[in-house]
Amino acid sequence: MTALARIRILRAAPLTTIQDAGRFGRLGSGIAASGPMDVFGWQSAGGGASGIEFTRAGLEFELMRGPLTVHVGGGRFHLRVNGDRLGWPARVGLVAGDRVGITPGRVGLYGYVRFSGEIDVPHVLGSRSTNTIAGLGGLEGRTLRAGDQLDILAGDTVAAPQPQPDSATDAPFRFLWGLHADLFGEAERRDFVSKTFHVSQRLDRMGVRLEDREGVFSAAQHLSLVSESVVPGDVQILGDGTPIILMRDHQPTGGYPRIATLLTPEINRFAQMRPGAALRFVPVSLKNAST
Amino acid sequence: MLPMPLIVPLGDRGLLVRFAETLDDEANSAAVSFARTLQATPPSGVVEVVPNLVSVLVRYDPARIGFAELRGEMQLQLLAGAGAALPGKPVQPIAVRYGGEDGPDLEEVAGASGLGADDFVARHSGADLRVLAIGFAPGFAYCGFHGDLPPLPRRGAVRPMVPAGTVLYAAGQTALTATPIPTGWHVIGRTDFINFHAGAEPPLSLVAGDSVRFMVS
Repeated sequence: MTALARIRILRAAPLTTIQDAGRFGRLGSGIAASGPMDVFGWQSAGGGASGIEFTRAGLEFELMRGPLTVHVGGGRFHLRVNGDRLGWPARVGLVAGDRVGITPGRVGLYGYVRFSGEIDVPHVLGSRSTNTIAGLGGLEGRTLRAGDQLDILAGDTVAAPQPQPDSATDAPFRFLWGLHADLFGEAERRDFVSKTFHVSQRLDRMGVRLEDREGVFSAAQHLSLVSESVVPGDVQILGDGTPIILMRDHQPTGGYPRIATLLTPEINRFAQMRPGAALRFVPVSLKNAST
Repeated sequence: MLPMPLIVPLGDRGLLVRFAETLDDEANSAAVSFARTLQATPPSGVVEVVPNLVSVLVRYDPARIGFAELRGEMQLQLLAGAGAALPGKPVQPIAVRYGGEDGPDLEEVAGASGLGADDFVARHSGADLRVLAIGFAPGFAYCGFHGDLPPLPRRGAVRPMVPAGTVLYAAGQTALTATPIPTGWHVIGRTDFINFHAGAEPPLSLVAGDSVRFMVS
């Protein structure tokens, strides 16, 4: 198939990857689904089934061959095309030689560039998503970097942009009590929902470590559990008491106790929280989960 | 005879059927065979069935079925005795280069088991083992149980990375790596058998419930 267009990456923030909706149905092979960290942000861009997920420091690329329509969204970044400031999210028609610059804005860790077509990388096990832990999919199973060139092929479908829920709200994160909630003491469960936690610097597509400044889990017992399936949004307490929220490239199974699991929509809002941000948790019942 | 399994939510789109709290042979067999039954005839609304060591994850689409209804469905299947027997695939032989550079922990593991290295290898190989589960990493296979070897805890220190095809030993089990991973298990050998090929469909040669036999290479 002839490429519609080609882009060249001029600057890529760390952990910039190619994603699509995800590689579902492979947990039994030991492979998490991956896919966009913030599905709502992904949908707010619209566009073809595959795209680029960039991180806080943004992305710069030029169109080597065109024309091409690009769709951007997710978080609140600043967009410039050939130096001219545009809004966010946006859909922009480009011609060969145009340069797109995306720089950090007010909020957000993850943003998306999608195209009126598909990125020409192979489907691996049914998906173009990059799995950073397994080194699968995307461009050679790796993160993107300056100098990479991507061909864009004609695609079957181009999704319309969806309105994005407000990810800047400071509402507590809704969760269901986790697989091992009953292994925690009453005080730990109570403090988990009454105390404030902070997003740490240690985060990636696998998981986000929280700072437990109030020492909610400082006395947590290291329990030896039989490992079981992990799902995105699981709040796992490591042996040293560090809470970690498991994200899209999670390990398929885990043996640390999980006190909670975020509701599916909340994972998207959580993904956009920057290091240092404060957060609280609120339990809901499955009946009221309304996902 | 196992008690009725526990059925608990795992998030808002998953349900876990747990056959035991600790790892044992009967619970593992029950989990694996229950998963195979569900995979063969998945209830409406179920999108993925994943066997674990002693439990089964059932992922569902909440727009098509709710937790309570799916739990009822699972209970009916369990009461009907779903998953009575595992259909047998031929035993997969796995040639292992034990000890030396390929298995730097072999001597220590044998010693801690009260055996010489040769005796340990003789007991480790030859017997048919079951793939207890796939987990931790792509194609990573837990195999057990080594009934005639004492269970041994993991190492104190984690090796930052071991290659695909590493033969690991701990807790009365052998695990096979299929991708490079960090590990706290004892490294006792290497094999050319790699249980994961991203370009193949299905990508795994061995899945939970299959049989393997280690052999001296």
